[in-house]
Amino acid sequence: MAVAKASLLIALLLVWQLAALRGLPEYVLSPFEIARFFVQALGSSELYENIGASLGRALPGFVLGSALGALLGLAAGTARWFDRLLSPAVFLTYPVPKIVMLPIFMIWFGIGDLSKVLIIALACFYPVFINAYTGARQTRTILVWSALGMGASRWQVFRRVVVPSAAPMIFASLRVSLALSFIVMFAAEMINARSGLGHMIRVAENSLRFDLMYVSLVAIAILGYAGDRLVRLAHSRLLAWQQP
Amino acid sequence: MTRVLPFLFVGVVLAIWEAVARSGHWSPLLFPSLAKIGNELMLFFTKTEMLAEALVSLERALGGFALAAVVGILLGIVMGRSRVVAALLDPLFSGTYAVPKLALFPIFIFVFGIGSLSKVALVFLECLYPIVIMTYAGAREVQEKLLWSARNMGASRAAILRRVVIPATTPFIFAGFRVAVPVAMIVVVITEMVSSADGLGYQVIYAMASLKTDRMLAVVVVIAALGYLLDKAVVLARDRLIYWEKLDTYYV
Repeated sequence: MAVAKASLLIALLLVWQLAALRGLPEYVLSPFEIARFFVQALGSSELYENIGASLGRALPGFVLGSALGALLGLAAGTARWFDRLLSPAVFLTYPVPKIVMLPIFMIWFGIGDLSKVLIIALACFYPVFINAYTGARQTRTILVWSALGMGASRWQVFRRVVVPSAAPMIFASLRVSLALSFIVMFAAEMINARSGLGHMIRVAENSLRFDLMYVSLVAIAILGYAGDRLVRLAHSRLLAWQQP
Repeated sequence: MTRVLPFLFVGVVLAIWEAVARSGHWSPLLFPSLAKIGNELMLFFTKTEMLAEALVSLERALGGFALAAVVGILLGIVMGRSRVVAALLDPLFSGTYAVPKLALFPIFIFVFGIGSLSKVALVFLECLYPIVIMTYAGAREVQEKLLWSARNMGASRAAILRRVVIPATTPFIFAGFRVAVPVAMIVVVITEMVSSADGLGYQVIYAMASLKTDRMLAVVVVIAALGYLLDKAVVLARDRLIYWEKLDTYYV
């Protein structure tokens, strides 16, 4: 079954490899060459250092932005005055590409890692906020009433009713925000950095090291895929009760 | 009171900004006053060169988005109506969904050149995913009842597609559009910031490199307004086309 699922991918790779035999431009490597260069790079420390630098930016930004988004989103979804205060500003700025703030953040917080972590956090904040907000607002009133009727305090209702019913929506948005954190990290590193996968691909591009370009590409692809799998795993583990 | 609250937040933020700018503690390079930003904004709209930059970015974003919309809707509907095609394409899309396509940009530069084409191609690729995935989800879940009734009443395959499948899928297509439009803006701005000599993203980088924080913020305001207006346009088109189903959001 797994083979059948990947059949198109395998066919594409095969066509690509066969095309390479007939000669491709030098900036398009064949799948086998890419695999060979990647395995080669796995043996050197350069790749690990860059991956470490990239994750050191993406993960703190992801955690910070998602945590803030979930907290404020839940708060705005439950408290009316907070909703009126914050939500319009959030929804108004939602379609704005957050990466344009990078130069300003660089001026304010320096060109080091802090400005990159903060811009990643900003980008991750939005999807989580919106889903936590929507999830909290979609809490079934009957559940809230029942809990209140049975003598639950406001905090207990929040903790035991609102948070669990918003949790699936929050997890759905964590997938989006993790993917976003990698995109923004890569963009920020391409624009301005001295380490990381985005920096690596820029250096490779400028020095026409096509092998390094593809190594960086494969590394970011694997990271993105693995991160997504982890979030989905955590989702099914933590929220086993709502699985179909 | 509740009516004032939304403006209160924005007002307080702007007031703090102006207070910081005027306090003199920080260099105007860090926090230019609102008046200066407003002035640069005026300049932006009076200079045709700057408007041309905005047009360049808009063309790239909309070009890539339009291509992705055409290809994405086609693929999504075919995937939704044919098991074989879905079995072939679904693993490809869901497997590479979480991979940042932006990393392909350096290769796209070599393949499509450093001009607009490589940027449009990347916008196309990034926008394709949400549109295909949402359209597929919609086309797959057309109610059997409707299909059966249509068939029973003697509708041809083409009529079923046009009268049942496409209308039932349209809300999902628009949900995909709403994800894709901001993505298009993001990709255009990023690629212009990374490597370009025109467009709004380049203007941001250029203004910063020349230490014109006020001009940079003015361009940021323009980009923000564009992103906002494009989103509004999608919502407007959606509400015109799908008059039978109102959007279930509170503010947007």
